[in-house]
Amino acid sequence: MTLRALLARLTPQRTIRPTRDGWWCLGAAVGLGFAAVNTGNNLLYLLASLLLALIVVSGMLSEQSIRRLRVRASLPGEIHAGRPALLGARVTNLKRRLPSYSVALEAGEQRMYIARLAAGAERLVTWEATFARRGRQRLPGMRLVTRFPFGLFLKAGRVILDDEVIVFPAVRPLDAAWRRRLAAGGTRSLRRRGRGSDLYNLREYRAGDDHRMIHWRSSAKTGTLTVREMEAETATSTRIVLVGEGRRDPARLEVALSEAASLAVDLLAGGAAVELIGPGLHVGPGRGRSHQLRLLTALALYDPATAAASPVRRTPGLSEIEVSLA
Amino acid sequence: MTPFESRALTAAIYLLVVDGIAALYLGGLFGLAGFLALLALVAGSLWQESLRRVVAPVPGLGPVLVGVAGGALVVEIVTAATGMLDVFVHLLIFLLLVKLYTLRTLRDARDVTFLSFFMLVAASPVTTSMVFLGLFVTFLVVGTWLLMLRHLMYEADIVAGPTGRIGKEVLRLALAASAVTVAVTALLFLLIPRVGQAALPLRSQSSRIIAGFTEHVQLGAFGEIEADTSMVMRVRLASLSGADGPPEQLPMLRWRGIAFDHFDGRTWTVSRSTLKLTLRRDRPVPFPVHRYYGGPVLTQEIYLEPIDSQMIFGAPRMLQLDTRSEFATIDDLGNVAVPLATARAQYTVESEPELGDPRQADIADARLPHDPRWEARYTQLPAISPRIRALAREITAGSRDPYDAGRRLSTWLGREIAYTRVLERPATDDPLEDFLFVRRSGNCEYFAASLAVMLRSLAIPARVVNGFQRGEWNPYGRYFMVRLRDAHSWVEVFVDGAGWVTLDPSPRAGIETVAAQPPALMWLDSMRVSWYRYVVSFSLHDQLAVVETVRRSTWDWSATALEPWTWRRGAKLGAGLVLAVGLGLMLGWRRHRAAAARASMPSFYARALRLLARRGVVPRAGETARELMRRAAGAAWAAPLVPITAAYERVRFGDLALDPDEMATVEAALATLTLAVRTKGP
Repeated sequence: MTLRALLARLTPQRTIRPTRDGWWCLGAAVGLGFAAVNTGNNLLYLLASLLLALIVVSGMLSEQSIRRLRVRASLPGEIHAGRPALLGARVTNLKRRLPSYSVALEAGEQRMYIARLAAGAERLVTWEATFARRGRQRLPGMRLVTRFPFGLFLKAGRVILDDEVIVFPAVRPLDAAWRRRLAAGGTRSLRRRGRGSDLYNLREYRAGDDHRMIHWRSSAKTGTLTVREMEAETATSTRIVLVGEGRRDPARLEVALSEAASLAVDLLAGGAAVELIGPGLHVGPGRGRSHQLRLLTALALYDPATAAASPVRRTPGLSEIEVSLA
Repeated sequence: MTPFESRALTAAIYLLVVDGIAALYLGGLFGLAGFLALLALVAGSLWQESLRRVVAPVPGLGPVLVGVAGGALVVEIVTAATGMLDVFVHLLIFLLLVKLYTLRTLRDARDVTFLSFFMLVAASPVTTSMVFLGLFVTFLVVGTWLLMLRHLMYEADIVAGPTGRIGKEVLRLALAASAVTVAVTALLFLLIPRVGQAALPLRSQSSRIIAGFTEHVQLGAFGEIEADTSMVMRVRLASLSGADGPPEQLPMLRWRGIAFDHFDGRTWTVSRSTLKLTLRRDRPVPFPVHRYYGGPVLTQEIYLEPIDSQMIFGAPRMLQLDTRSEFATIDDLGNVAVPLATARAQYTVESEPELGDPRQADIADARLPHDPRWEARYTQLPAISPRIRALAREITAGSRDPYDAGRRLSTWLGREIAYTRVLERPATDDPLEDFLFVRRSGNCEYFAASLAVMLRSLAIPARVVNGFQRGEWNPYGRYFMVRLRDAHSWVEVFVDGAGWVTLDPSPRAGIETVAAQPPALMWLDSMRVSWYRYVVSFSLHDQLAVVETVRRSTWDWSATALEPWTWRRGAKLGAGLVLAVGLGLMLGWRRHRAAAARASMPSFYARALRLLARRGVVPRAGETARELMRRAAGAAWAAPLVPITAAYERVRFGDLALDPDEMATVEAALATLTLAVRTKGP
């Protein structure tokens, strides 16, 4: 155990706030104490002591409930601006014998309640969060809170999981115009199912199939609904070039970066190698998921204020597609 | 809300309500009829759903009913309430009934809890009964349970989820929390600073008017009460200094109340010429009562029930009195009175008990005053029969001194006259002549009066004293329980050099056989006294006494520690202590590390290791889980160990929780492993 951990354990930073019931209890204790002092009646002292003892015991039990609970974030691999992301946290009760009762995780407006967490047990809680903007952003943070045992006080632990995350630009399906532009760059057939233009196979209709893919002639001939399966195509390796710096129109910049991200994701999904060039940024050609993360990170962190055009050596043999940042 | 939780909540609410109503009844805030009527109304609210079905369809009927009840309350308060406490209680009951008949939400449950609590508050200024402790503890346990249950249900309602089937667990938790709350309450009760004496109840308890303890007492006044077993007072003997043996075994122990100096043939009175002095104290120091003659001192704590008498009782000769009263009246008969107490009174007296032969004493302050008025006062007699004078002379013929004469008379009375509680109408006009020569039987008053009259007829100063015999010893609380039947009369005779000395001619103690209380009742009575002593009348003085005891103990300890021979012992002790603390820290650290290792190990794998350990398979130092699995290859438990190890690696190193399917697989493997381990074989 490090010194810091020891100090954190010895001085757990808690905030305690009375609930409405708690204020009533405190008020009654003060009133009774006042009456007891004025009258000298020991039974009033006894009842005032009871209320104060309830407050003390409430503090002890709530601390017992909230202590030694470990919370670890469980974040999705990619978070895109404007899209709900499923965030999660694993709550583990590190106590050896005692369960924790009635704890909740509060993340902004969200509240996830755990009625009981046995000693040594773990619980995964999830919630949705939407980040409006791309870029480096801080998670809203969360706190372990409890009103246990009497609902008189709200005890909260330190704010945790307020780490930084990189929010990628929004990725949307490409519209027809972009598809045409990609097609103009040339494609190559792959001998597997996909979204290309050549027919790969005909098969029986299954629930969820796109109605537009129904092959009516075959369906009429066989008497059962039959759908087309298309052959996958891959675009030829492509260089996405960001044109302009996007200083004039921030809204346009965001749309353009979103288009660039969508293009990159689509191309990579099709098996193509993708290179990204723009003002002050260059990601060399590559494929696969790690390359996609590099591209999306570069787009997420693009800042027109610090962007400066610099000469880049372009990799030969790549078709090129421009996205205007304006 | 599960059915169990719903039932538990209802039960807790109604238990609290009954507890609160019982507290009001205990405080005498309403009679038995009111108590039963209120219980019936409370019970009726259990069927509020049926009532609501009748009331709800009629628009405005509900508010009208509440309004009518509210109006009735106002009328009742205006016409019948005798004080603010009554108004408060009636308002509480009204609000409680409204809440019970409209109970719907968890917030209502909270309100009922508060109202029940304030019923206890309302009862607290008007009761000192130990039953209050029972009601208090009941409230504490049930209230804790209710608050916990309500909180969990409230939270579950917010997230619209289950409470996790912990309803029954809450009861156990509430009991544990209640135990802690009781301990903390007791501690706070002791520590919260008091500002003076504890207060008496606002309302007086019903006190009995008892004959025999006023300034005019007719012969035979004790006749009725000598068969009454009502408790009058409890006397705890706090200390005895200057004498050996336990204080409860002191001879002639009795509780002196009032002495009389004037007799008119039928009635003993305190004469008008008695010098009375009313003392007022500004500081909390005891009232001085009698001069100290240098003998042993007995300290008594007395808890006196309300008996409609201002007299202070204590062992004779009372030296000083400590009571909550600011005034005390002391007269030259040694009588002490304080303003009439409306409730049980507690006071402490210090007395100098009479020990040994008084004729051996030679106290300058106790010399016979050569004052004709004084002698006339204590030898005053009405016109009495010459037969009584003649009898006195005959019995005391040859006596060496007045005390000897008194003892001879006392012995004669005890031997020749029969003691009886059955008093018949005197056959003659002179009750004493009738007692001595006709009936030759009577109670202690007749014995005492006869002795005093015969002494006075011989010109020996004497007076009659009314008080109580010592009573029944309670070994649990170590005090005397004094009842009305212990009321007693005796005589004080003046002995030159020793002062007023007690003579008791009544043979009562040897005749009466009093059945001892059963131990359970004795124990209960001692609890009652403890409750009164340590809770009801706990005061600043007691707090200071506790602090003083702690301070003195600390001082004694530090003084002992400074003695040279204890230094060496202290050094050894310190070294031992350091060693023990070091050892404890080391063990604690190892335990902590082991606990940390266990905490990082999933429970299912720890269970698997425990199972394997039964067959002697334990991980070697530095051996990984996978190596252990390989080592077990070929054994009967090798197969189930594979999925368990895989799950362990996933949880331990992949930092991933198992989903329900994986958990089921692990559980199945554990079951197989258990079977394999238990089966005999390699």
